[in-house]
Amino acid sequence: MAKKRLSNNLRLMRFLKNEMTQAELGERIGVTRQTIAAIEAGKYSPTLETAFRLAEVFDKPLEEIFQWEVGGGRKGD
Amino acid sequence: MPIKEQFARVWLITMLVTFSAYFTAVIAIGETTPLAQIGLFATTVVVQVIVIGTASAVMEIRHKGGPKSDERDQMIDQRATRVAYQLLICAMIVVGCLMPFNNSGWRIFHAAVFSIALAEIVRHGLIVSMYRRGWDG
Repeated sequence: MAKKRLSNNLRLMRFLKNEMTQAELGERIGVTRQTIAAIEAGKYSPTLETAFRLAEVFDKPLEEIFQWEVGGGRKGD
Repeated sequence: MPIKEQFARVWLITMLVTFSAYFTAVIAIGETTPLAQIGLFATTVVVQVIVIGTASAVMEIRHKGGPKSDERDQMIDQRATRVAYQLLICAMIVVGCLMPFNNSGWRIFHAAVFSIALAEIVRHGLIVSMYRRGWDG
């Protein structure tokens, strides 16, 4: 089975949202700045609830923020 | 650095240093009076309480008003605790069920202390490791 990995566009989303800081984003969804940094770096996969909160903040569907990568490329590419 | 990681680092270093000193002393002193054995153990515990208590108080003051912990902190803690618990159970089976057949007294006591110390060191070591290296599970 191919190794899959969750990736995300959080950094880009923050930039597009008036360069929102990690601390601001963390405060809005109820996690620490370090957790936002860990999610962006791919070191932590958030819970479904946090993922939906992130989607709500950026007003985007979940799949625009998180992608399920298969073998280096994205699923469906 | 998250407050939980700082706390785990302090705990890990304190446990490593104090229990290394404790077991070095136990081996060096060898068989001695129960009072001396208890005194050595009590000194180790008191030093740990003072160091960890002081560090906790300082960290609480420095992080006052900041976020305490979130889902990532809790998940890392749960995962590390689960591994340490399994280790502790295995060690306690050896100490409590096997050692009494061919050991006695202080050897069993020291083995029990070693098991608890090892489980705590593994737990806090895993916490620090998961904060540093990440965990996407």
